[in-house]
This record gives sequence, C-alpha cells and structure tokens, in this order.
Amino acid sequence: MTYKVLKIKDGDITKSINNMFREILKSGKLKALLIPQEVPSKKMVFHVLISNPEKLNADIIAPVLANSTATIVSYMTKIEPANKPIGVVMRPCQIRALFELVKLNQANLQNIVIIGVDCLGTIPIKSFSNFPEKKTPTHFLVDSFTKKTNEIDKYMRTSCHICKEPVPNNTDITIGLFGVDIEKEIIVEACTDNGKKLLEDLKLETISKEGHAREKAVKQILEEKNKKHTDFIKEKSTIKGIDAITKFFDKCINCHNCMKACPICYCKECLFESTVFDAEAYKFIKKAENKGLFKMPSDTILFHLGRMNHMILSCVECGLCSQACPVDIPLMELFIPVADNAQKEFNYHPGKDPKEKIPMIVYREDEYKEVGEE
Amino acid sequence: MVEGKKEEFEPKIVGFLCNWCSYAGADLAGTSRIQYPPNIRIIRVMCSGSVDSVYILRALIDGADGVFVGGCHPGDCHYIDGNYKARRRMVLLKNILQTLGLEPERIWIRWISASEGQKFAETIKEMTETIRKLGPNPISKQWNV
Repeated sequence: MTYKVLKIKDGDITKSINNMFREILKSGKLKALLIPQEVPSKKMVFHVLISNPEKLNADIIAPVLANSTATIVSYMTKIEPANKPIGVVMRPCQIRALFELVKLNQANLQNIVIIGVDCLGTIPIKSFSNFPEKKTPTHFLVDSFTKKTNEIDKYMRTSCHICKEPVPNNTDITIGLFGVDIEKEIIVEACTDNGKKLLEDLKLETISKEGHAREKAVKQILEEKNKKHTDFIKEKSTIKGIDAITKFFDKCINCHNCMKACPICYCKECLFESTVFDAEAYKFIKKAENKGLFKMPSDTILFHLGRMNHMILSCVECGLCSQACPVDIPLMELFIPVADNAQKEFNYHPGKDPKEKIPMIVYREDEYKEVGEE
Repeated sequence: MVEGKKEEFEPKIVGFLCNWCSYAGADLAGTSRIQYPPNIRIIRVMCSGSVDSVYILRALIDGADGVFVGGCHPGDCHYIDGNYKARRRMVLLKNILQTLGLEPERIWIRWISASEGQKFAETIKEMTETIRKLGPNPISKQWNV
C-alpha cells in the first residue's frame, strides 16, 4: 500500500499538476483528458476535452463547478462507450453522480479513467466570475486552505460547506490534498491497475501509506463535515407543511433550471416539459371554479415534489439545483433533508458502488409486509 | 349551497385500481349489490406498478382529500412484480411526504383480489371514515401551488 508524491515547484500547485497531466497525455496512455480549464477571459472555468498536451493549462483546484461533470461523461459515452482511454478529472460529488448515471444506463465507464480530486469546495458562479478579493479565487482558496483561515467559507456554496464526502471514492487515481502541505507536495494515489499503469513512468517518489498524515487528516475532515451535515439537516427539517412549502417556492418561475442542472435528471423529455399537463380551456375554468382561483402557470409544487420523487434516492447533494436557480431559491435546503431520510429508508448510499441497483427497480418479496395489509 | 348552512364534509377520494384484481373486485362489489360510499372516484389502470407518484400528487394538489391505490396481492401480479414495485414506490412517496409534513396518511395502498368484493367495499368504507375524521386536505385549499 503506497502513495506517490508529486513535488510542487515554486509553490505553484496548478503548474506542477499540469506538468504531470502533460506527461500523461504525451505518453499516449490517455487519448484525451476531460479537465477544468480557465476560459481566456479568466472569468470562468469549464471542463475541456483536451488531446494536445501543449494546450493544457488546467486549473483542477479552481473553486467552481459550472456544470455537472457526470452529465458531460454521460453525453460522451451514452450512444457508444469510449473506444480509446479518456481521463476525466472529477470532484467527489460528480463521481457519485456518474455512478448513478451508470446504474440508470446513461453512461458507460469503459475506457474511462476516473481521476478524483480531494474537494476543497466551490463558490457560486456569480462570486467566481466577479471575485471581490485581490487574489484569484484559486489562490484565495489555496491560501485559505494552507493557512487554515477558512476565509473561503464566506463565499462557499452551502452544499460544499456541509458536504459529508469531500474525499473521492472508487477512482482510478486520487489526487490527495488533505494531510499534506500543498505548497510543497501533493499525493497521487493509484487505486486501480489502470491508474497504476498511468503513473508507472512518471518520476514520482513512492512512500508508504502506513502512518501517513493523510489518513488522519481525512478521518478528521470527514468527522467535521459529517457533523456539519447532521446539524444542517436538523436545522432545515423545519420546512414542514404545505404553507411552509408553498412559501419556500413562492419565487419559482417554473423555468425548470434546477432539473436541467441536476446530474441525476437525465430524461430527454421530462414529464413536466411534455404535453401531459396541457388541457382544454374549459378544464382550467372548471379548476378555477373549484378553487376560486389558482396561480398561473400552475403545477409549481407538483413539479418540485414530482421531480423529488423521481430523483431523490440518487441525490448526491451537489447543490447544482440551488446554483442554477435564477431567483435564488435554496432548493438543496429542502432536498437534502428529504434525500437523507429517503436514502436511509432504503439503506441506500448513492454513488458508493456502481454495481448496486437503484432501489426503485429492485424488490424483495418479504419486505414491507405491513404495507397494504393494515 | 344554501347561504349560511354548513354542509357536512364529504371526502373526495381518487382511486387507482389495477385492471386484473382490484378493479374486478370493485366490479364484483357492484354486481353483488354491496353498498359502499360514493366518495371514491375510480380510475382503472393496467397495474398498480404503473401508478407514478406524480399522479397521486396531482390528485392531492388538485382537490382530492385522499388517494387509494389498489393492486393484486403480493405474488399475484398479472405482470409478475408490478405490485412489489408499487409497494416500494409507495414507501418512498410516504417517506418524502412524512419528511415534508404533508400527511402521508391520506394515501392508502391495499391488496384486493378479483374475488374480494366484500373486502373492497369494507376498505372504501373504512378509508372514507378515516379521511372524514382527518378533514379536508389543506393542499387543495392553496391557490398558489
């Protein structure tokens, strides 16, 4: 059991990581790399699919998640699995989402090499592109992390703040930032044979996993984060009853952006965007007569509760729904407590094991015997 | 309605009955002239497994005071395992409604076979009385849902 160590030159972490990725690309072991890279205006960081090592100028630490990476991988592999090895650099929540999409037959992991990165959190797109500090968001984050000032916390998205799994699992390669001084060195761990093959030619020092500070640091971070997560759920479980829920969605303009940003919502034709709820004028008038009045466009709560029923068991708590909302409804504050309860009911941990089946397509004859027999 | 006179609350119940068992059970109750409350509005579906949670939510939001889902007894599904899946879906829906404080007790799922006309009538009687005690569904009173 060993780690590899990547030495950071001149304290520039992104430069050193990029050099490593350039070497991997040059070796030809990966035909392309899906990796976050700054746009020329430096206002935003998007994933790029890159094959020319000369053009690689990535920033895998940049604290922003523009789109669901899992959806991008699904987009690339759904019609046909990758025929050549592609490396994908992903945050832990996105790896979990990708596994959920694999279970839903929306992505294929053949020839996909998952490179997971310890996640230091992300800030909303709006804060990232108009960052008020003097430093760039990435430098600010690295400073806040190495000096343990937690200054980044005031910008951080709530879902990242309370994320209970910032350490990636089920990767081929893990890039470890916890438990090391990231201005001097970072950990690169090959977790599978595929990962080992990629790293074998790189000039990286090998050290023993035994007694390394990373293990302890990860344990401590997971404990802290789990506590924050539990407290958050306790605090937000107060949204109860139809009055509280309609109030919560009061600003909703039925744009369905939360659904489009969600990595789990994969349906090409969503029920709520179909013609299912279209009706003749007389039916609307009848409904108005029954209720006295009703809001138009209607079915706001139906959409949110319906979507919740369809995706909640696979919810990986990435918070992209909240980030996508144009009227700033903090959707994840409602979804995370519900997800937590529902996933506990079925003893299901989304994204943990890609071979597991999602609870709604399997059953046991001898379960829930009391349901229907009251 | 006469002004000033308060009518007794009559629950509206939407029932989704599976074609092969519960709907036939309801039919049997009818042909056997067994009396049951007229509060249930029956919709025939091919299988309890085909009832999406959205249909149930839609009924509750648009004015139903209760929703009844009837399926074949476990093991007897015409499509082998539709009712097992319906059972899990119902557990999920009720779990979500419980977390959100939205009265999961307004949703009933029962297994009624084609020969159980009597059981169908009794179940509907029981449900109507339970929902009557629960009172009108507060969701349907909201206009900004």
